[in-house]
Amino acid sequence: MSQRSITLRRPQVASDELAWFRFGRIGQRVVITNDVGDWELLDEPEFEDLLGGRIDEEHPRHAVLQAKGFIRNDLDVAGLASRLRRKKRFLGQGPHLGIIITTLRCNQNCRYCHASRTEMDRVDTDMSLETAKKVVDHIMQTPSPYLNIEFQGGEPTVAFESLKFIVEYSREKNRYENKRLEHSLVTNMTTMTEEMAEWLVRNNVMVCTSLDGPAEVHNYNRTWQKGSNAYDSVIHWIEWFNNRYIELGRDPRLWHVDALMTTTRKTIDHWKEVIDLYVSLGIKNIHLRPLNPFGFAMSTWKRIGYSPEEYLEFYTNCLEYILELNRQGVEISEGTASVFLMKMLTPDDPNFVDIRSPVGSGTGQLAYMYDGSIHASDEARMIAAMGDDLFDLGHVDNTTFDEAVNHPTVKAIAVASILDSLPMCADCWNAPFCGVRPLHNYMLQKDLFAQRARTPKCAEHMGIARFLLSKLDGDEDGSVERIFRRWTISRPRDPEEGLDAAPPVRDPSSVESGGPTSGHSRLPVLE
Amino acid sequence: MSDGADDLELVYDLGARAVSFDLHEELYAKEAVYGAAYLFVDRAYVFLTRPSDGHVRVRLRSRGAATEDQLVALAGEFANELLNQMVRRQVSEATSQIREYTLARAFFGNDGRASIDALLAELDAEDLDDDPLEIEVPWERSGQGSVGG
Repeated sequence: MSQRSITLRRPQVASDELAWFRFGRIGQRVVITNDVGDWELLDEPEFEDLLGGRIDEEHPRHAVLQAKGFIRNDLDVAGLASRLRRKKRFLGQGPHLGIIITTLRCNQNCRYCHASRTEMDRVDTDMSLETAKKVVDHIMQTPSPYLNIEFQGGEPTVAFESLKFIVEYSREKNRYENKRLEHSLVTNMTTMTEEMAEWLVRNNVMVCTSLDGPAEVHNYNRTWQKGSNAYDSVIHWIEWFNNRYIELGRDPRLWHVDALMTTTRKTIDHWKEVIDLYVSLGIKNIHLRPLNPFGFAMSTWKRIGYSPEEYLEFYTNCLEYILELNRQGVEISEGTASVFLMKMLTPDDPNFVDIRSPVGSGTGQLAYMYDGSIHASDEARMIAAMGDDLFDLGHVDNTTFDEAVNHPTVKAIAVASILDSLPMCADCWNAPFCGVRPLHNYMLQKDLFAQRARTPKCAEHMGIARFLLSKLDGDEDGSVERIFRRWTISRPRDPEEGLDAAPPVRDPSSVESGGPTSGHSRLPVLE
Repeated sequence: MSDGADDLELVYDLGARAVSFDLHEELYAKEAVYGAAYLFVDRAYVFLTRPSDGHVRVRLRSRGAATEDQLVALAGEFANELLNQMVRRQVSEATSQIREYTLARAFFGNDGRASIDALLAELDAEDLDDDPLEIEVPWERSGQGSVGG
């Protein structure tokens, strides 16, 4: 044992000159951020000038630091409050995402299946029309003026009758609710038929599929029946849908198949081919996603998993390449980066349920299982499928909407994900852009709060935010910012474009009333 | 120093797989020590003890084998983070009222309306500039108020 010493140089802090901010370091630069998501990168001497109250009107950084609210002199508190209110306007709006698992049956056997699918003969895991009606009645009580009903599985198209009923009944019900109502389907495309596809297009159900990369990667990750080629199937249907939208005169920027990819160890070695494939298919957005600790991925992790550092290297390789493609005029963005950039570059928050404070479980989304059980989120139903009912909120038969969203479990998840109250996150410069995942934490550390420095999400989100701000910092000619700002543009679709005036409700005997949902107050439409 | 900075001498023990700091709470606030130590849970086992009144001992034990250089680097990182936490605490204390007021105004003020409503209110307020009804004229001066009931 020996004794050593370190000399710390403690800077002067001019208490009367400062406004509130967080700070940290990215390389040699100091990053400062505030609650409304304003940020600035400073040299160390400039940061010491800020702390020491030496940013007077002559200082080269005065104008920008004053405008962004980092200096107390002439601080526009009312303006900051107004911007903060806008940034956090999702608070109090209620769930805008209703995930409905119409079946757990699936014909694929993906190595990482997070949903714990069942075999195709398990028709007992299909949602009945009676349950489907109760689910729609439940989720449409949300006070949110916007609602996206998202179909997941299993493979939702194997229970297509339930899906059709939910679309038609919810649309009928919405004649009284007057929400901005959208439907989306997450499908592996392998059981798609032309009849189904035509119905989906005609009924404006947005289609999202999984495309993990070139055939070698996709077919490895997403095992199908022997002798079949899942890759060929998904490519065929992406092209079919995109062509059909164009034939019907729809704007392809708004109407197209979205694709998600899940990263396995196999993907990491093929990152460039994955992006080239998306570009060749004309897909404008690629959403890079790491494996999650749910479902089958838990047991196959050793073979297909990787460390947070390996994922981050993969991610930054991809993002560098995507940026280069953008410089060459190719229009493609990355999903997670877009979420962060919207928070960094615009006055709004994208309300992405997995990256916000508090997280969206129960407050931004609800998930309904085929049997009518209600779960705080997609992750919660995945955990339930693994035999753990900790995040169950009740059942549509006996739990009201208010009881579900005010459930103590929803409150616990919210408390565990409000960054301002979490050790480490409360001080972190990335807090205005980041979000924690309590259910993710629970699966990895059996603790909603977890030791955040040890969570892969912390490493991932810090790495992404550092990368983006570094790119913006070194952006001499503004070209990177122009590209990044394009990624933040979200063009709204008209959910009723091309629809018949009054879609027929199927199986009318099961629909008691198309009248307004009762028992909830409506918030003003803020969109 | 001309910029008002001051120097602190931070002594630590360098062991086989660990570094230890005895920190006096008068110099290093407990919250700053906790905040700094928490950041190291991914790299080290963190032990906090109280060797005597007013002192906190932080022992960072490497999660795997570590060379002396790595331990010295670990100590340096902890020292930097401790300094950051002290500055954060000072900034936070100096600005907490401003922040609380901003948050209260954002979420609990009477102005919690949709932006379109806010815009309409702003336009209405502009109309008041004309003030044909003399709303802005103090009550007493307008002759309509009754002083002393």
